[in-house]
Amino acid sequence: MSASAIIFYLIAAFILGAGILAVTTRKIFRSAIWLLFSLVGIAALYFWMQVEFIAAVQIIVYVGGIVILIIFSIFLTQQSGKEMAKPALQKNIFSALAALFGVAFIGKLISEYGFTEDQSKPFNVGVGDIGTQMLSTTEHGYILPFEVVSMLLLAAMIGCIVIAMKSKDNIISKS
Amino acid sequence: MFLKDYISEVYTGVSSLLKGMRKTGYYFFHPKEIITEQYPDNRDTLKLAERFRGEVVMPHDENNEHACTGCTACELACPNGTIKIITKFDISPEGKKKKAIDTFVYHLELCTMCNLCIESCPSDAIVMAQNFEHSVYDRSKLTKKLNKPDSKIREGIE
Amino acid sequence: MFSLEGITNTIQNWLYSTFDPTFALLIECAIVILLAIGLFAALGLVLVLMERKVAAHIQIRLGPNRVGPGGMFQTVADTIKLILKEGLVPDLADKFLFNLAPFVVMIVAMLLLAPIAFAKNFQIWDINIGVLYVSAVSSLSVIGILMAGWASNNKYSLLGAMRSGAQIVSYELSAGLSVLTVVVLTGSLQISDIIASQADGWWLFKGHIPVIIAFVIFIIAVTAETNRAPFDLAEAESELTAGFHTEYSGMRFALFFLAEYINIFIVCAIGATLFLGGWMPLHIGHWEGFNHIMDYIPSSIWFMGKTFFLIFLIMWFRWTFPRLRVDQLLNLEWKYLLPISMLNIILVTVIAILGWHF
Repeated sequence: MSASAIIFYLIAAFILGAGILAVTTRKIFRSAIWLLFSLVGIAALYFWMQVEFIAAVQIIVYVGGIVILIIFSIFLTQQSGKEMAKPALQKNIFSALAALFGVAFIGKLISEYGFTEDQSKPFNVGVGDIGTQMLSTTEHGYILPFEVVSMLLLAAMIGCIVIAMKSKDNIISKS
Repeated sequence: MFLKDYISEVYTGVSSLLKGMRKTGYYFFHPKEIITEQYPDNRDTLKLAERFRGEVVMPHDENNEHACTGCTACELACPNGTIKIITKFDISPEGKKKKAIDTFVYHLELCTMCNLCIESCPSDAIVMAQNFEHSVYDRSKLTKKLNKPDSKIREGIE
Repeated sequence: MFSLEGITNTIQNWLYSTFDPTFALLIECAIVILLAIGLFAALGLVLVLMERKVAAHIQIRLGPNRVGPGGMFQTVADTIKLILKEGLVPDLADKFLFNLAPFVVMIVAMLLLAPIAFAKNFQIWDINIGVLYVSAVSSLSVIGILMAGWASNNKYSLLGAMRSGAQIVSYELSAGLSVLTVVVLTGSLQISDIIASQADGWWLFKGHIPVIIAFVIFIIAVTAETNRAPFDLAEAESELTAGFHTEYSGMRFALFFLAEYINIFIVCAIGATLFLGGWMPLHIGHWEGFNHIMDYIPSSIWFMGKTFFLIFLIMWFRWTFPRLRVDQLLNLEWKYLLPISMLNIILVTVIAILGWHF
């Protein structure tokens, strides 16, 4: 087994271990932290595959954005120090079944796909190429998702402004 | 109009920040401005600020005369009873009785150096001295008598 | 002539000729880790002393002057004290996360060291998304702070952690945008490309006013991201009794303290790389004679000089201004820095497309 394979198995074990801990721990904040470690592990896997751009985006979006948001909402809503009640047996059984089904489904997909070893050289994409690809309208261009995402962000931004805006009645009644 | 306000706000913000940094930068590059006194090392050449207040003293001139009339204005002004004035009556050569101090008691251990007694004194009989090495082993040594023995009031002070 | 490149090449050739490649790589990793830890320790000692001296002189004081000549060994004494101190863990704290948090902060600081070019061809990992990597990984450090704040089971710590989180998340935007201005001008995220593009002058001088504005915004935003005064609301001594590290003592506290200074070094190194040309000596256009004289100064000295200049700037900044209030902090970011840097990046794009820079 080569060093590269050893590193892969280590990272995979880290991701899975953190994932299992995330769903089994009974403190909600710890659960969020384990989720975070799992996501960082996935970013490490991307680094291992030498797709650094995806890895950095993974960290920025999931770790820097989503997990922080989750932690903030935990801080603001839950009594985060308390242990939660043990889940009922039924719940446990069904979630285990769901997980098993997912593993089986993905395993079947992977075995049917039959990966061929990629002999092409590792890609080294410049930032210019990424930008061009993002806005290209040809086949395999990302202009449509890009625009849809910008629409989504715009909607979110307008929503924020509407929520934060003071209506005139409010100002008058307060003063 | 809004844009103009915004730009001028940014401008004044940045310029006031730069003004502050200029001042601190000036201090950084001029070590001569440093006011730290390395006290026990430079005990002989210590420079104290002009208005530093160490303790209350009563200056006496060469004839062993002071300017205190015993009016007790300082005693009344003192917020925590640091000063106690014991008065007596001197008989002047003309046979008149005249009020004078017997003892000016000053409790240094109670004094907060607030300077109110000096402000209130009508004849400027007491001033603040600058010595600050007051530590002693016995508390009673801090109770001081400010007028020297056999001193009397200077002529012409009412 | 002295150069770090020669030394590293010699070591690498020797290693690869003596051992087989996998083993040689492992030894190289070990050497790099040792060097990084050594650099951290040295930086901690130097920067803490520098901060105290700069602060003292700005406030017309002398600063530490008793331990060693001119107080040189003050930080060594402090470190020994911190190592010998007992590391307390509060009774109701989440002990696992409490112990983990300082290491998370420290490991993030170590990871950030990877893409920094310390001298010509002296770089741990010249990753092709260098700048993006830095801004991605630096967002991880907020996790360590949130962990520390929550695990301490102390309301001040929790408040400090939340403030720090809000602050880092919002100031990351304008820091990212000001980094992007240089990326737009260079057309690459790779650190070595960015440095190479400044061979005929640093971006701060080549890029007209927009780059200067970006530089100012960058300095402000990274000061906020490293939780330093005037943006030190996360630890605000007078309000939160040191915020997220209230409950930490001994070596764990020392790790937080060290990580703060390492982070300052790293952001200043990034700033020096982006705006002041990294290890690139001061070159002016086509003045060949002048450029040639400048090349005689080793590149590592150029890099360290620029970085320490920026560190001094940030310290100057810190000891001049009072702490902001929370609402002022958010106003500054969302109403001033962000709109200005957005406008700025449009300007820079126009300049880059039309080729107006030198």
